[in-house]
Amino acid sequence: MDFSDTPAEARFRAEIRQWLRMNVPQENGRRIAEPRDEQARAAFRLEWERTLFRGGWSGIHWPKDYGGRGAGIAEYAIYLEESARADAPEGINIPGRNLVGPTIIAHGTEAQKRRYLPGIIEGREIWCQGFSEPDAGSDLASLRTRAVADGSDYVVDGQKIWTSWAQYSDWCILLARTDPDAPRHKGLSFFLLDMKTPGITVRPLRQITGESEFNEVFFDNVRVPAANLLGGVNQGWQIAMTTLAFERGPEEALARQVRFARRFEGLLAAAERTGFNGRTIASDPVARQKLAQTHIELEMMRLNCLRGISRLTSGQQPGPEASFVKLYWSHVYQRMTEVALEILGPLAPLSEADPLSADGGVMQHEFLMSRASTIYSGSSEIQRNIIAERVLGLPKQ
Amino acid sequence: MNLNFSEEQRQFRDSVARFFADGWTSGDVRAYGRGEGDDRALWAGLAELGFHGALVGEDHGGLGLSFVDLVLALEEFGRALATVSAVETVVAAWLIGRHGTDEQKRRLLPAIAAGALRIAIAHQEAEAGYDPDGIATSGIRTAGGYVLDGAKILAPHAQGADCLLVSARTDAGLPAIFLCERTEAIPMARHATLDPSMPCFAVGFPGHQLPADSILGGGPDAAVLRDMADACAFAAAAMATGSAAAALDMAVAHARTRVQFGKIIGSFQAIKHKCADMAVALDAARSAIYYAAWALSQSPADAPLAISMAKAFCGDTSRMICNESLQIHGGMGFTWEYDLHLHLKRAKALEAAHGNATWHRERVASLILQAKHNGSAGL
Repeated sequence: MDFSDTPAEARFRAEIRQWLRMNVPQENGRRIAEPRDEQARAAFRLEWERTLFRGGWSGIHWPKDYGGRGAGIAEYAIYLEESARADAPEGINIPGRNLVGPTIIAHGTEAQKRRYLPGIIEGREIWCQGFSEPDAGSDLASLRTRAVADGSDYVVDGQKIWTSWAQYSDWCILLARTDPDAPRHKGLSFFLLDMKTPGITVRPLRQITGESEFNEVFFDNVRVPAANLLGGVNQGWQIAMTTLAFERGPEEALARQVRFARRFEGLLAAAERTGFNGRTIASDPVARQKLAQTHIELEMMRLNCLRGISRLTSGQQPGPEASFVKLYWSHVYQRMTEVALEILGPLAPLSEADPLSADGGVMQHEFLMSRASTIYSGSSEIQRNIIAERVLGLPKQ
Repeated sequence: MNLNFSEEQRQFRDSVARFFADGWTSGDVRAYGRGEGDDRALWAGLAELGFHGALVGEDHGGLGLSFVDLVLALEEFGRALATVSAVETVVAAWLIGRHGTDEQKRRLLPAIAAGALRIAIAHQEAEAGYDPDGIATSGIRTAGGYVLDGAKILAPHAQGADCLLVSARTDAGLPAIFLCERTEAIPMARHATLDPSMPCFAVGFPGHQLPADSILGGGPDAAVLRDMADACAFAAAAMATGSAAAALDMAVAHARTRVQFGKIIGSFQAIKHKCADMAVALDAARSAIYYAAWALSQSPADAPLAISMAKAFCGDTSRMICNESLQIHGGMGFTWEYDLHLHLKRAKALEAAHGNATWHRERVASLILQAKHNGSAGL
């Protein structure tokens, strides 16, 4: 067991760090802030994905045959750490890179890999994830969007919800019911759906932050070729479980961790320059306890991710262990934002736009954003069931 | 980066665990706590495995391992409620190997590696809290050597030790660790404590004379005291994590078999979710101690922060897991006969030793703010 970089890893780290220094968009020595306007922000993030591709840093851990660099997962972890440390913009094709690509690599045909992976790597095709429905949230297997075979096509009717970035997406991974008579887990199929197909309506939903990242998506008589099935007919559930393991897994979480740690550094700085009655927040013993606890939890999140990545490196398949990572980080994230707003005391309600805000409103926004983290990608309650039943061996209800 | 343990590291853990399975049962733990048994067979069995010399270099007859090689076995100590005496001896061996003079190493390390020397650590004082600066015991230079004056409390297994490591201030006020042979001239009294299977002693040094070469490393050095406190805190965190793992296993085993309302209680989400939260917390506690073990052996600059994080986190976590395990067990968990309270008490004793969570969190706060000012990324 060794936490330090091997010489090869150290060289790789230096290389990506150098590239990021030259390429992360900067102005006066600081990273350019993302545009406030959501459309402009999406364009800004997409441009970053293309910059990454031009630099050869997109999909580095994917096989060389499909445009990747065939890097190991440890290098990928280093790439994620350094990107977040350099405050590199977040991409917009997060489902494409983190969920769709790995799922296609695991389950796609050769033709599908050649068709779809380059578009993700090059930042040409943005993907969204069509799993949840209004009546199928935690109980995903009860979903009702149906796909009926018709000649060489399937015809899709139904509705998805909470579909992040659907309004910017070119493609969608769609979980739909192809056999209504089969037991519920055995009648689902996994489709790769072109979002420009006639009959698709995307309606943005406004979130508690006021922004609209997620959407409702309606499907009315939407034709999808049978060739766009990923895996076999009615094998969608197993494939979706692979997708969810990637979504909940340690690589995904490590990138988040470094972003959280940057937010925490910002909070520490705010705690040092802000004070009440002649004493800074950072010198208050109670606030120090809470700040230390937050630092510890962020570090445990990082270490959990690194251990998880090491297990994957040694050949273990992504499985229910991913729920440990996701359950832990989502609550760490929430607690961090709660600590922040608590120690900011009377200033906590001041938002980004207010000049007296102690931290530029960052933690207030994160506090709101973090509410979603224990819901999406499987709620905490679902993660606990998975851990209890599939890792600890407790009986189903 | 590779955070998987090697085959050898897992084998070392397994050999210690196998030995404990037969060689140190909960019956032994209870008898020892009642003062009816001793841990000589335990000590001898561990010596056969080379445990005491794990961190002693091969040139002094040890196995030449590191804390990384040892950390899984330390968890087993907690799981088996084994006497911490052997662990403190291993920590002392590491400290001597790291800071001792050549003569001290030659004199002490081979004996430790052979399992022939039992060392106890006498550091805590009644009015010092956890702060190393609070130590009032003095070790004053005399013509023939040093004279120790002061009183220590809560020194585990001091009665049966051959040698004590005693923290004290020297003439200049600098802290030092004194190597002190256990003699009848040193008064000891057993404390009444929460965990009787970890007997602790008040130890007096009323003008106790020591020879001139008694300071570990030859002269006062705050780093020696810091390293001793850090290594002890690390070991306590690792053992508490092992006790927590045992408490979780007991909770899960109970939840899988106990029937109420006509159903196995482990099928109820109220129970499942508790168990899942315990398992997640335990996994994170392991992250904490593995990283601390690595920092202690491979990256000393990171060790103080890594260890304080681990001691704080594992203290909170072991307490939570033992408490929740007791809750899942219902009335049975509250009985003397059932073993869970042995873990609850051991974890609590370890939580209070070598800095509790609150003290270590304050140290974490100091260290991260310092690192920020020094411009070191370090975070």
